[in-house]
Amino acid sequence: MALDIPKTRYTGSIKQVKLGGGDKAVTIGGETAYPFYLFEGQMPNLPKIAMEVYDSPPQDWAEAALEPFAGVTGDPVAWAKKCIDDYGAEMICLQLASTDPNGADRGADEAAALVKKLADAISVPLIVWGTANHEKDTEVFRTVAEVCQGKRLVIGPVEEGDHKKIGAAALGYKHTVSASTPIDINLAKQLNILLGNLGIPDDMLVMDPTVSGIGYGIEYCYSVMERMRMAALTQQDERLQFPIICNIAKEVWKTKEVKIPESEDPKMGDIKKRGILTEAMSAAVLLLAGADVLVMRHPEAIRLVREILAEMTAA
Amino acid sequence: MTILIGENLNIMSKTLGPAMKERNPGPVQAMARAEAEAGIDYIDLNIGPARKAGDELMQWVVKTVQEVTDTPLSLDTTNLVAMEAGLKVAANKPLMNSISLQPDRLERGLELTRQYNANVIGLLWGAEGMPRDANERCALAVDFVYRANQMGIPNESIWIDPIATPVSVEINQVKACFEFMSMLQDIAPGCKSTVGLSNISNGTPAHLRPFLNRTFLIMLMRYGLHSAIADAFDPELKHIASGNRPEMVEVVHRVMDGAAVSLGSLNEEQIRHVKTARVLTGESLYSHSWLEV
Repeated sequence: MALDIPKTRYTGSIKQVKLGGGDKAVTIGGETAYPFYLFEGQMPNLPKIAMEVYDSPPQDWAEAALEPFAGVTGDPVAWAKKCIDDYGAEMICLQLASTDPNGADRGADEAAALVKKLADAISVPLIVWGTANHEKDTEVFRTVAEVCQGKRLVIGPVEEGDHKKIGAAALGYKHTVSASTPIDINLAKQLNILLGNLGIPDDMLVMDPTVSGIGYGIEYCYSVMERMRMAALTQQDERLQFPIICNIAKEVWKTKEVKIPESEDPKMGDIKKRGILTEAMSAAVLLLAGADVLVMRHPEAIRLVREILAEMTAA
Repeated sequence: MTILIGENLNIMSKTLGPAMKERNPGPVQAMARAEAEAGIDYIDLNIGPARKAGDELMQWVVKTVQEVTDTPLSLDTTNLVAMEAGLKVAANKPLMNSISLQPDRLERGLELTRQYNANVIGLLWGAEGMPRDANERCALAVDFVYRANQMGIPNESIWIDPIATPVSVEINQVKACFEFMSMLQDIAPGCKSTVGLSNISNGTPAHLRPFLNRTFLIMLMRYGLHSAIADAFDPELKHIASGNRPEMVEVVHRVMDGAAVSLGSLNEEQIRHVKTARVLTGESLYSHSWLEV
């Protein structure tokens, strides 16, 4: 008797979203099955990796994370070009860390000028990430959206508390919105509904479920993302059928585990390898949970993740 | 018919809390009267953990309320000294709200139930906390009823509370609550039941909470829910509890049966019930805009 392999019954698919413009534009989403269930459906667009660039020289990074970018961390354009030319970045994520009102509090105009300069200098899609301070992000993104009209940026985090104003700016100047919610599937669905009500088209919306690295609750992130995909693919929940973006690098690299020198705690092992592997493994977990875009930092971690991707999808 | 226990006489209230502390009878009696007039079957007297002089407070609240109404009372405190003080002065067979299965509480609590011939809510909260699914609820219910019976308390005096949790937190817990309710009469024939109805809508925007509470009540009633601790001032709940909303019950039952319900032929209120039932069965995922999508 022939064996019937049970198959998941899918009733929905993830929407496709095109990021950026021109011939370096990237399309994400479109999955018709659970992540890497290629025996049950398709992943027409493999997950993409965006490399991080900071708007000001990082102060407290682990040596291992700084090393690959020696000489360019003071110049976001040079940094981005290095990511693209030397490390094959398919996208850039500019972290507007210096706009933080509790930090350097750089103004909106200055931030927007930098975003524009960077957007003009590169042709891959550009993600611009704020500080999650609602007032400041609103101010910054309204200016950024206007100054960078036509650049088809991805802007985030857009949260319930600032979605109206940032959403309206994104809508007006045709940028894609990254909807952020704090590891909660119900709130994620709600924000997507609200952004839809605001008029954001489905192909201009991606979701950021908020993620953390290994050792810091990644299993909760996994579980929420997994449930998002179950609702989207098997329960026809069309307000969750959006690609997922995971801003994982900064979560991994801020932990004490990647920063403690081996001399202080020998059992932690080689500090460089430790940081790279933590980033790569955290990213791999998120891929399995359904990530469509990973924001990553270390070129070696990225190489490892690309290897995993290639092996997972080999015919 | 489901009995309603009014939840509104609560020490957490901004007016009633201070009134209880100052022993000012006015606001407490006004609330008790209002609940009685709303047709509530029991008035819950929630004095909180009442660690300091809880016994005096409970006696005062019971006496104060009994001066204006003879509606039976539900004595709501985790302080067993306060509970006993209330039982001593409560006129009609009162309801103890509640006794959990934590070892230090179960024996002493049931002893009071027996001694004062009271009704008791058996809260399915075990030594390890919240039950994770329907089976753990069953195990806890069996333990509770067994121990109560051993002490001579009949099933008719036991009101099992399976613990309802917010729909926005974990839908599987809501489903487990239904599943358990469907088994209760097999486990403990004649046992009664109750549920903190408003828990289901905790975390939901205030103006939308009644819609979840109402549909949840209809769904639980299908499993024979004996009583619910609920908002005394949502008249719709009273109508549902009294069996006056058959046209709503019918559509909710259809959703529970997995039938395809087309919204086209339904009125606005029925549509709200259908959408809510779809959320509470887990068929669609909850969001604050569940009624709009």
